[in-house]
Amino acid sequence: MTSKGEQSITYLILGVFSLIALLPIVGIIFTAVQAPGSTVGFGHFDGIHLGNFARAWEQGNFGSYLKSSFIVVIAVVSVASVLSLMAGYAFGVMKFRGADLLFYILLLGLMVPMEAIIVPLYYDMRDFALTDTYWALILPQIGTSVAFGTFWMRAFFRSVPRSLVEASRIDGASSWTTLWRVLLPLARPAVLTMCVLLFMWTWNEFLLALVMVSDEGLRTAPLGLSFFQGRNQSDLALLATGAVIVAAPVVILFVFLQRHFIRGMVTGAVKG
Amino acid sequence: MMASVQFNSVYKRFGDVLAVDGLSLDIADGEFMVLVGPSGSGKTTALRMLAGLESISDGNVTIDAEVVNDLATGKRNIAMVFQDYALYPQMTVYQNLAFGLRRRKTPKSEIEGRVRSAAESLGLEPYLDRKPGQLSGGQAQRVALGRALVRDPQVFLMDEPLSNLDAKLRVRTRGEIKRLQQEIGTTTVYVTHDQVEAMTMGDRIAIMNNGILEQVGTPADVYEHPANTFVGGFIGSPPMSIFEAATAADLEVTRFSAAGVEFVVPGLPDLPASVIVGVRPESVRSWDENSGNLVGPLSGEVAYVEALGRETFVGVDSGVGQIVVHYDGRSALIPGDKVEFGLDPKGLRFFDVADGKSLAAGRLDSQ
Repeated sequence: MTSKGEQSITYLILGVFSLIALLPIVGIIFTAVQAPGSTVGFGHFDGIHLGNFARAWEQGNFGSYLKSSFIVVIAVVSVASVLSLMAGYAFGVMKFRGADLLFYILLLGLMVPMEAIIVPLYYDMRDFALTDTYWALILPQIGTSVAFGTFWMRAFFRSVPRSLVEASRIDGASSWTTLWRVLLPLARPAVLTMCVLLFMWTWNEFLLALVMVSDEGLRTAPLGLSFFQGRNQSDLALLATGAVIVAAPVVILFVFLQRHFIRGMVTGAVKG
Repeated sequence: MMASVQFNSVYKRFGDVLAVDGLSLDIADGEFMVLVGPSGSGKTTALRMLAGLESISDGNVTIDAEVVNDLATGKRNIAMVFQDYALYPQMTVYQNLAFGLRRRKTPKSEIEGRVRSAAESLGLEPYLDRKPGQLSGGQAQRVALGRALVRDPQVFLMDEPLSNLDAKLRVRTRGEIKRLQQEIGTTTVYVTHDQVEAMTMGDRIAIMNNGILEQVGTPADVYEHPANTFVGGFIGSPPMSIFEAATAADLEVTRFSAAGVEFVVPGLPDLPASVIVGVRPESVRSWDENSGNLVGPLSGEVAYVEALGRETFVGVDSGVGQIVVHYDGRSALIPGDKVEFGLDPKGLRFFDVADGKSLAAGRLDSQ
């Protein structure tokens, strides 16, 4: 039992940190809905003017950027999730020679930042004539996502009681059936959490998009936003609106999956 | 469907650790065989090798005279009940029971019938639409049994299936499992660390220790004639009391002396000069009551009193070591009291001092 005093202190500290996290977001939203040409500055509220969104959408070409982003994100998240699920199952449940070594090699993909591999990656992509295509954005990100996803799913599968897998084998189920029929339903929170994380990271990836594509039609949202900001440095409201448009999909996804996401983040920490 | 099971010189190594050391065991068709032993004795490993969940390092395992060493788990016609039940949490009880039948492509109409009849025999009908999370421990345990039962396998494997139940439910389920097994007559291999479970359930008991099979026999056999001091100490509660004594044959009697105490046993068993004497608590009684056929007296100080109501076991620190003495009903003794007690010569068992093995030739009750 925590005492009343302890509880108040907990709320106070949590409240302060929530404010620190929320204030910039509120600031951006307030700025995004300021009157066009307003001079009151960042974070001030002077009424709701949704016209900014239409203006930004047209001037900033956000329709095209978002479309590119969605194409890349959906391809990366769906392929990487399936591969991670299967690789995580193999590493977490099956015994095979060299499993540890292979797993550590895979972890390299988690540890090496995009900045370190971007230059050789560019030349490789150019050799395959893939620069300036969606493939140049999708394939490398599937690679890095599978590294994380395998790590994540392996941890989940290791937390599943072994006897469940063994019971399924004794019942005559193949590895394939055991994965899809017995384990996947249990893995749903972990899989959804993985999807949200991969979605977020892929959506926000900037450097890869900057280096690999120069075609305006292929630019993803964060890249497009940076170009948009370069062109509209004086119009604070328009800049904020662009930022809100680009950030919105991740926020919406998170809100929808929030319950599962939190459950996924705590499984493993506490035995369910 | 039934089958015999054989372990032929089976070894299991985990790295440098020898978990099962040359296990040879024949389990007859329809027999209820209990593997019992302390933690790390290799009993569960042996069961898992039979299930195909562990590979076999050496030797072979047969089911119905067919070597199954390289047969995949799913292809062996076995069913297993796990200690934690291992029910599929997202499926209903019905789906849990049907899962194995579906995997084996049993016709739908037959699945329905078999699930219903298994559920009926275990009293699970009201719970068929529930999920495992909505069941009590005892109900979940019965679903785990049902999942094995419904498959009608050649062999049932049970890995400590009762250890997660409370004491009362454990006793009841013990009887239920035994009854079911007798009804359907399927060969069963049952692993437990609880010697009471082993004694009450097994047609025969295999006692394991450190990967070695110490003794196989009926419950009465291993209780009355333990093959070595380990079995004597492991089977029975309280266990057999054990002490070392020097022997000397003298006309028609044998003199035993240990730590300054001497007692004379009629008869001349063929014993070496020094033996380990083992005696069950029920063969050790107070010297003052019915001491007619007892030998002794030995004496000592009460160390502890275990009053069970109908009987009382008293641990006595005597000159030869701690000996458990049996009293009928309640006893007024308290720790520190001095007591005299005698040994029933028919209950004396003798073991080799060097290796602890039974000196069967020296059995007094066989004369």
